[in-house]
Amino acid sequence: MILSLSWKNIWRTRHRSLVVIGAIIIGVWSLIFMMGFYNSFINAFARNSINNEYSHIQIHNPEYLIEPDLATEIQNETAIRNMLVRSVSVEAVSSRRKVNAMIASTKTSLGVQVFGIDPDDESKTTNLESHLVEGSYFLNIKRNPILVSVKTAEKLKLKLKSKVVITFQDYDGNITAASCRVSGIFHSKAPRINERVVYMKKVDINRLVGHDGVNEVAILLNDVESIPEVINQLEPHAKDTVRSYKEVAPELNLMENSSRITKIIVTAIIMLALVFGIINTMLMAVLERTKEIGMLRSVGMHRKSIFTMIMLETILMGFIGGPMGLGFGYLTILILGKVGLDLSSFSEALDDFGIDTILYPSVETSTYPVLMFVVLFTALLGAIYPAIKAVRLNPLDAIRKI
Amino acid sequence: MQLEKFRIMNVIETNNLVKTYNPDTIPVHAINDVSINIEEGEFTAIVGPSGSGKSTLLNMIGGLDNPSSGKVVIDGIDIKNLNQPQLTDFRMHNIGFVFQSYNLIPVMTAKENVEFIMLLQKRSKEERDSRSAELMEKMGIAETSKRRPAQLSGGQQQRVAVARALASKPKFILADEPTANLDSQSTSALLDIMAKMNEEENVTFVFSTHDQRVIDKAKRVITIVDGKVQSDETR
Repeated sequence: MILSLSWKNIWRTRHRSLVVIGAIIIGVWSLIFMMGFYNSFINAFARNSINNEYSHIQIHNPEYLIEPDLATEIQNETAIRNMLVRSVSVEAVSSRRKVNAMIASTKTSLGVQVFGIDPDDESKTTNLESHLVEGSYFLNIKRNPILVSVKTAEKLKLKLKSKVVITFQDYDGNITAASCRVSGIFHSKAPRINERVVYMKKVDINRLVGHDGVNEVAILLNDVESIPEVINQLEPHAKDTVRSYKEVAPELNLMENSSRITKIIVTAIIMLALVFGIINTMLMAVLERTKEIGMLRSVGMHRKSIFTMIMLETILMGFIGGPMGLGFGYLTILILGKVGLDLSSFSEALDDFGIDTILYPSVETSTYPVLMFVVLFTALLGAIYPAIKAVRLNPLDAIRKI
Repeated sequence: MQLEKFRIMNVIETNNLVKTYNPDTIPVHAINDVSINIEEGEFTAIVGPSGSGKSTLLNMIGGLDNPSSGKVVIDGIDIKNLNQPQLTDFRMHNIGFVFQSYNLIPVMTAKENVEFIMLLQKRSKEERDSRSAELMEKMGIAETSKRRPAQLSGGQQQRVAVARALASKPKFILADEPTANLDSQSTSALLDIMAKMNEEENVTFVFSTHDQRVIDKAKRVITIVDGKVQSDETR
């Protein structure tokens, strides 16, 4: 009976109820859109960081993590690679010699990190070859070809085939220098790589430092979910420290956590605005029906029934608006997730953060039922004050107002 | 034995009823020492000029307002001893209310309005259907059962309100100025129906009114002036 009365009451002032339902729909839709949009930023940043810089797993000598010295090498690289080649979860592996160096052109010099790589392995792991904007991938230069980023090239005023001198400590701690020529100029999607990394062939840099070895093994997997499984497989073989990208790059973890907090805060703000909208509308509905509510109390309707009636009116509107908002939100994310959201007009700013210009919003399926619960909770919250106001009305008002 | 009979006969008793507004500043005695008994089956009009206290008296009899002193006894029960939920239940089962401006629920049909209190009383669907059909037939509004209040005339709405009040089988009906918003034809029709219900089904009616047509129909007229019973005339 109360449910039926509440349902009928919703449609008594149709336009007002539709405003509340519309507010719920827009609130839920905008929340889903905001989440999808925010996820697309985080995902693009994480994806680019993984695919262009960190990979899913990295292995280092534990001492290298404390003091990154080229002499602290991976202890059993061959055994590790043999194991990884057999794993179906592994997409690519790149072993790197990492040397801190000064790079100097005829104009100026700056500090960089030289990544000594196997060109094929690195290309499969970080798509390095596809990031070339000029020149070739270690071709056309016979002795010590080097790849520099667009930024480094601008700072050092380098062109293709320009000569640079790199200065570094060799394996024995002696300062040594080598002359290299620019084979190619790249632009990575990872800002840190653009800022301070140059690439040489591993064989060249190992020859220059005077020792054959690697300081880092980066492993790209088919699926991010396989990280724990591969780490478990690696641990018996590796004498070194095996870490997932979240440990290697705590900023990614921080970003994911902060995104979760941001989403909660934005949800709270939107729902708070909705609560006040509901309070305002329901309060108006209650005050307009003072006489009627007084009559209901007079003829024997209990306070708890009046309270339930007002609460149900709001919950029912939540049950109408919530799923509609979720539906529109789901459709929006579904379409934008396929066609993408083109933010080319902000490409420069996005590039500085290592984010693509076309974003693909996505929202986890588990978010939708949680949002439905949040909407109903919001509706309940918004209905409490008007419902209390309704039960506090004196039934005598019905007679006094005649 | 005599006492028991007396209690059954008196549906409403007020003993030295007083209602004072602003007791601490400028006291206004809306009701001042009113003691009346109304027996089962009476058709009583409480009359008096505006501000005489007749509505206040009705509110206290209906358990909607608390007296400053004195007591209201309904069917042998001093309603002062009931807590809020008990009083709500008591009103639902014992008192039928008819308001000047009908106070029907606008989102319900005439039939649903008539059945509303029976729904609160948790009566079965069969009982609700038969009782509402019977009452609407007697009230001459059977054909309006599916219409909403906005689609009914004032007279029809008030008849629905009376049917609603009667549907719960209360001990008595309290009607505050029931004809104030009706034209003379509707007033006459409504009074005829209520008089018929009173005569045929022994329903007790208590009106507050200053409508001469209602006063003329009443079997007993209690006149209140300045919160006191000035006259109590049985015809």
